[in-house]
Amino acid sequence: MDRKLTRVAGMGLAALLGSTSLAAAEVTVEFWHSFGGSSGDALAEIIANFEEANPGITIEAEHVGNYNDIVARLQAAIPAGRGPDAVIMEVTRYGLFADRGVLMDLTDYLEADPLKDELFDFAREVGVYEGKNYIVPFNSSTPVTYVNKNIFERAGLPENTPLTTYDEILAAAQKIQGALGDEGIYGIAAPGQFARWGLIMDNDSDLIDSVSGEVLIDAPNTVEAYEWMASLVHEHGVASADNVTDEKTGREAFFAGKVGIMLNSTGDYRQSQASLGDDLIVRPLPCNKVCAAPIGGAGIGILSTADAEVQDAAYEFISFAASAESNAIWFAGTGYMPINRNTADQPLAAETLENEPGIRVSIEQLDVARGRPRPPVVTWMRATEYDMWQAMALGQRDVEDTLADFAKRTRVEAGRVGQ
Amino acid sequence: MLRKLTPYLFVLPLLGFMAVFTYYPILQSVNLSFREWDFMSPTKPWVGLDNYRLLLTTRDFWNSLKVTAVFALISVPLRLALALAVASFLIRETAVSRISRGAIFLPAVTSTVSIAVVFSWVFSTDYGAINGFIALLGFDKVPWMQDPQLALYVIIFVNTWKQLGYDVIIYTAGLQAISMEYYDAAAVDGGRRFHVFRRVTFPLVMPTTYFLLVISVIDAFQVFTIVDVMTRGGPAGATDMIVNMLYRVGFTLFDIGTGSALAVLLFILLIALALVKARVIGRRVHYDS
Repeated sequence: MDRKLTRVAGMGLAALLGSTSLAAAEVTVEFWHSFGGSSGDALAEIIANFEEANPGITIEAEHVGNYNDIVARLQAAIPAGRGPDAVIMEVTRYGLFADRGVLMDLTDYLEADPLKDELFDFAREVGVYEGKNYIVPFNSSTPVTYVNKNIFERAGLPENTPLTTYDEILAAAQKIQGALGDEGIYGIAAPGQFARWGLIMDNDSDLIDSVSGEVLIDAPNTVEAYEWMASLVHEHGVASADNVTDEKTGREAFFAGKVGIMLNSTGDYRQSQASLGDDLIVRPLPCNKVCAAPIGGAGIGILSTADAEVQDAAYEFISFAASAESNAIWFAGTGYMPINRNTADQPLAAETLENEPGIRVSIEQLDVARGRPRPPVVTWMRATEYDMWQAMALGQRDVEDTLADFAKRTRVEAGRVGQ
Repeated sequence: MLRKLTPYLFVLPLLGFMAVFTYYPILQSVNLSFREWDFMSPTKPWVGLDNYRLLLTTRDFWNSLKVTAVFALISVPLRLALALAVASFLIRETAVSRISRGAIFLPAVTSTVSIAVVFSWVFSTDYGAINGFIALLGFDKVPWMQDPQLALYVIIFVNTWKQLGYDVIIYTAGLQAISMEYYDAAAVDGGRRFHVFRRVTFPLVMPTTYFLLVISVIDAFQVFTIVDVMTRGGPAGATDMIVNMLYRVGFTLFDIGTGSALAVLLFILLIALALVKARVIGRRVHYDS
């Protein structure tokens, strides 16, 4: 009887210990992201693959909204100690979070990870702040030039109309406007903030110098770029003023076949293709003075407040999400650029590259693409730039005066928040 | 002893709730307004009145105060006048009046975000319904959301449209509470319609007007969602209301200290306005008809 009892008790203890160790192996990573629609589907597939390959780890993914929504929610969550374990952060705005110690330093993880050598240089670079790695890129993009072939044809413009300089783009937009303006069709969508940054870089300038941190908002080439962009709306009338006060309307109008040219993120490729089909042509960004393109998108960071085992699990996921296999799923499903050198060798990515020449443009543009500055003041600068742009594009304020004022305020703010 | 304590025990849960969710946050806001904090740093250094000084020397603050004041000065009288007119028109208890009051009240219970999104489309310069109609008549498109003057009027229009139903219902209740004896007496004296309204209806509905005035001024100084969705304070700051600025400073620019200082200033401003209203108008309100 005693032996039987001892055996039963032993089995019970073993079962208890077994269940305890099993429970200990179960790790849940709370992950906030910004992807819905087809991007959300691609992310869900990557997460499902990861969980299948890592039975002890569950990724609790939550679509929080856009990048701004994530930041707003983090503001409430961090002081309350209810932040996620991993989070998607936009590439120019994570610097502040790294600076304040919210994001953990991933340098040691990445150094020990073979992924380090697989990532493209640009992808490595965008995750580095003050010499340390704080995010690993997930969705990278550059702006490209989208063209509606049907509108070009109807306006009498050949498909290969040069769109390399500001003058060439303006000429094409004016021709479209002249021919089809009565139908409510515009030559070009007023550039959104990402494209504006790209056009400034194409004019051999920047908003803030990536290396020195010097504010270049009032530099002559920046002023010239803004003058040209603003003139599209208030002087030449080839872009709708609606796009200035509500930037997404430019994209929506392009998808609806109401705009001839749009400069926007590669992340818009899938939607553009779904909307225009064979009428979509993708060209590189213009090279007005130089050829350059800003790297956009976001990467995944880990919060310093997460438990050590959760941080390890979160990095496992980050590494998996940036692997060639996952990146091929992401690239084919969304149009965002590959970040892994081996992605193109994956059958899914190879098929996409073969069948969709439009998607190759962003990859070919990588030679001239570079990361943007990300000191803490960038968050303030980007938020304020919208108002400045509106004033200039709607012809309410002189471009040079506006940018001189904006540059002055940015320098003061940079001093306040700490470069 | 217990009998004396009983009423206090009944209100204690509510007081506790308010202390935790209303008074503590207010006190915390006041405390933060004297500190520098970006919601991430572990420390919140004391900066005294620096945040207030910064605000009061910023062009954006005075602009948002001016925009909010203009908004309130136009939208509050407009709301009250329209609501009183509509309520007077629909005062009779007929089927048409009841259906009309219900229809007018619908926007008040509709999501503000949805309303703002729909009106963004309606007022879109190139693709909006209003400009489509204007173009049909052969006129040029009107830049509703791009013209700094017009954009504010558009916001006022949408806000009035949204709030009118609530004001109408409150006014209807106020008007229905006026005894018919006064109107009968006025009719016997041969009072004409306008005079009856001026001498009987308007004074007797004053408590309702005063209540709506207080509520609508607070609403006007706290308007946010419509602005955030339709203009985000633009173009070029033309619709940048105080709460819009507060959100931008605190939650986009991470300056919680200055954002809290702005919230405290708004609180003081609303208290001051309430006192002025009580002194100027409150004394003329008669609650016993």
